[in-house]
Amino acid sequence: MIQVQELTHSFKIGKKGKERKIPVLKGLSFAINEGEIVSIVGRSGSGKSTLLHILAGFLKPDAGIIQIGDVRTSTFSEAESAKFRLDHFGFIFQNFQLMPGLTAFENVELPLKLAGVAKKDRQKKVQQLLQLVGLTEVQDHYPNELSGGQQQRVSIARALITDPPIIFADEPTGSLDSETEQDILLLIQSLNKTRGITFIIITHDDTVAETADRVYKMHDGELSEGGVGHAS
Amino acid sequence: MQVNDQIDFVRQHIKKNKLRVFMTILAATMGTAFLIVLASVGFGIHDTLRNEILDNRLVNQIEVYSSEMNQVKVEDLKKREHVKAVVFRQSVSINQQSELDGFIGSHNMTVTEFQEEAKVGFALQEGRMPENESEVVVGSHFAENLIEPNTVEEAEPSTYKGSLIGKQFTYKMGLYEEKELFPEETTLTIVGVAKEPAKDWIMDFNIYADSAIMPDLTTIFTSHVDDENSELFYGNVNVYAKNLENVTAVSKALKDEGYSVYSIADQLEQLDVFFLAFKAGLVFVGTIAILIASIGIFNTMTMAVTERTREIGVMKAIGASPKLIQRLFLMESAWIGIIGTIIAVIISYGVSFIANMVLPIIVSAALGDEEIASLDITFSIIPWQLVIIASAISITVAMISGWRPARKATKIDVIQALRQEI
Repeated sequence: MIQVQELTHSFKIGKKGKERKIPVLKGLSFAINEGEIVSIVGRSGSGKSTLLHILAGFLKPDAGIIQIGDVRTSTFSEAESAKFRLDHFGFIFQNFQLMPGLTAFENVELPLKLAGVAKKDRQKKVQQLLQLVGLTEVQDHYPNELSGGQQQRVSIARALITDPPIIFADEPTGSLDSETEQDILLLIQSLNKTRGITFIIITHDDTVAETADRVYKMHDGELSEGGVGHAS
Repeated sequence: MQVNDQIDFVRQHIKKNKLRVFMTILAATMGTAFLIVLASVGFGIHDTLRNEILDNRLVNQIEVYSSEMNQVKVEDLKKREHVKAVVFRQSVSINQQSELDGFIGSHNMTVTEFQEEAKVGFALQEGRMPENESEVVVGSHFAENLIEPNTVEEAEPSTYKGSLIGKQFTYKMGLYEEKELFPEETTLTIVGVAKEPAKDWIMDFNIYADSAIMPDLTTIFTSHVDDENSELFYGNVNVYAKNLENVTAVSKALKDEGYSVYSIADQLEQLDVFFLAFKAGLVFVGTIAILIASIGIFNTMTMAVTERTREIGVMKAIGASPKLIQRLFLMESAWIGIIGTIIAVIISYGVSFIANMVLPIIVSAALGDEEIASLDITFSIIPWQLVIIASAISITVAMISGWRPARKATKIDVIQALRQEI
């Protein structure tokens, strides 16, 4: 489903005119199948977050090809990338990235608003998802009135609302205690099984990595397959 | 994103920063109101001067001379484009005398069409317009020229003092070179008295009769005068254009057809050009106030973008297009401009109304002249064109001020924005 070939990226650092190029991704090639949970693990600075940003279209690679389904996303403009993200991707972030001025309900609703879905269609769908993640009771609460686990559930519901085939999760349990972490991981596994969603999880946590069907290890901008995670 | 969702989104953000947005709207309102009120003074003075001239029925009047003027030509003139009325006044060229209740006077008979006269401001101070050839309207000073014959030699001859409406008088004609008047008397009934002329020094002794009286008077005249070259009536034609702007076009068309024409519209054109430049100057000065207010809008929007960097980043991450982000911020600055303009227009009309009510009183008190207060001076007028111009300037400036912050919002780097602390 996701084909990556010879993906290269480097960052420029230093003053203008005296910049140095630091290679971050060194010609990565790999594939991710439909309905898989894939973990990319690695130490800080290994390039795993940069890889996610490039796959999600937040960042343009220096070179290489990214093909998602039949579409070559690596050549997209910023506007094309945004549209593709809205239709095909969901995101779960370490610090949840919820809108502080919107309630749990409104946060989940936001991608549907961006997609131009009519109000009555939105409401039904948001209700269903809030029920799925167990947050019906607190749907009118603002993010600062929710626990970390609840906020991450809102974030998961928001990622699911447009029925995307792929969800990127960047350290999804990094801000949660171990008990809540287990809940969230079980939810991810369950969504993967019931809805066939492909999850690409960036983590440095072995527990999280073990949830995956396959684990890739990033080291100094190079990727190696680290074997099967939870060996289902 | 649907339009109502976009409006909802903007509304939510405005609600979050009520005070800041209120202060920005206040600045925009003050700037726009200043522009409107300032320019309205130009419009007011211009309008007052124009009305002053127009009241004298001179500006849209075109005097037309032709050696062969007749009723057919007059009818032809009436059918022309941009012509409001054609007044064909004909006066009796020989000696005339009127007698009312023993008082005798010399009054000039003017024959005209009252329907056309009424269109160009011929008004009565009492009575009504004539309905047949024996009914007439008399000038406002008619009675002052009716003198008792026995008192003619006295220093202050006795004049007619009674009411004129409904009175009958006899009208006789004669030749200046003969002592005796023609024996034929025409009995006429006064049904109306004309309004006093606007200029104090003009005395109106005329008898205004309908053109239907002409055949009777001509019959009397021809029965005493054989000369084919002499005419009882001589006339002049005044063509009145619908408005000042049409005077030039109507004059030109008449000139092209061989008529001799005269109008003072050319002089008024200079007045218009002067006031156009004057009003443009006032709008320019007012625009500076709006530009100062625009700095406030720029600051508000820049702060809004800076404060919402993380939110914009999240929206972009989950799929908001850069164009949508830009539109949302432009809508917010436009909203400030629109609300500011609406309030400014309302305030300006209020200020204009109060100025027109209070300023004449203040001026008359300051100058110690009560007559000024009763004069029809308009200090401030806000025509719809001024509202349109001011609104366009204000909203455009608001949107331009919001443009750069909105562009800045679209350029926000998603990765950097997501790294910001909550």
